[in-house]
Amino acid sequence: MHPQLQLLVALQDMDEMLRETEEQGEEFEGLGFKHGGLEELKKAREELASKIDPSLASWYRRLTGKFGHAVVPVVGNLCTGCFANIPSSFVSKTNVNKVQKCESCGRLLYWP
Amino acid sequence: MDIAEVLKHTSPDLFIPDLEASDKTAALAGLVEGLITGTNIQNPDTILQMLQSRENLGSTAVGPGIAFPHGRTLAVQRLTILIARCPAGVDFDSEDGDPTKLFFMLIAPPQDTGHQYIKSLAALIDCIQDADLREKLLAAGDYESFCAAMTEG
Ligand SMILES: [Zn+2]
Repeated sequence: MHPQLQLLVALQDMDEMLRETEEQGEEFEGLGFKHGGLEELKKAREELASKIDPSLASWYRRLTGKFGHAVVPVVGNLCTGCFANIPSSFVSKTNVNKVQKCESCGRLLYWP
Repeated sequence: MDIAEVLKHTSPDLFIPDLEASDKTAALAGLVEGLITGTNIQNPDTILQMLQSRENLGSTAVGPGIAFPHGRTLAVQRLTILIARCPAGVDFDSEDGDPTKLFFMLIAPPQDTGHQYIKSLAALIDCIQDADLREKLLAAGDYESFCAAMTEG
């Protein structure tokens, strides 16, 4: 996987965790979990984000604002964001020097 | 959600009867390795990073001798549960300081509209409140008897 994509996936996982902690924290706390490290997690998030190429980072922000998730898995040659077909040539291209975007919706593509 | 329903998200390939780990980092690595070995899930580094972040948020060792490492990641496409036992116990930063001997690791995809993952977590936590059951789980000879003990209580 492209190192920048690896960072973007980690960033999105972290954003999901922050969102879940903020929106459903009480539910988790009711089960006995504690979230004392929330501020540190936010700092770690900023540190991770700073390692991402600025143009990709701004693309990520824009798409997250628009769709909720900027990075989506490709399953069965489909972008799971918009269900557009992803040409199989993209798969071989992922191994080279670029983070791939869906040509239809612009989401960043991840092959799980 | 009943326990039989929760156990549908695991399998004999996702059962580690004797995890060996000297510390928390090694335990998490061992759990992720078991997950990768037992499924066709890729990208162990992403999963490990997510779990480590989750532990930094607060330890998931919330039961007596039991931890529930959990979280969402793009690296999985469906809720997957791995069960592990660590007979020697490992320091997992539990509140009471007791070593952790039993792990239920729940890894969910980002989109999970039915909130299966929180419901499964809640069902598991509820189930293991029974001290006799915890003894049975630690003593169970194999995956089948482990699951039988879980469902029978
Ligand atoms: Zn798309």
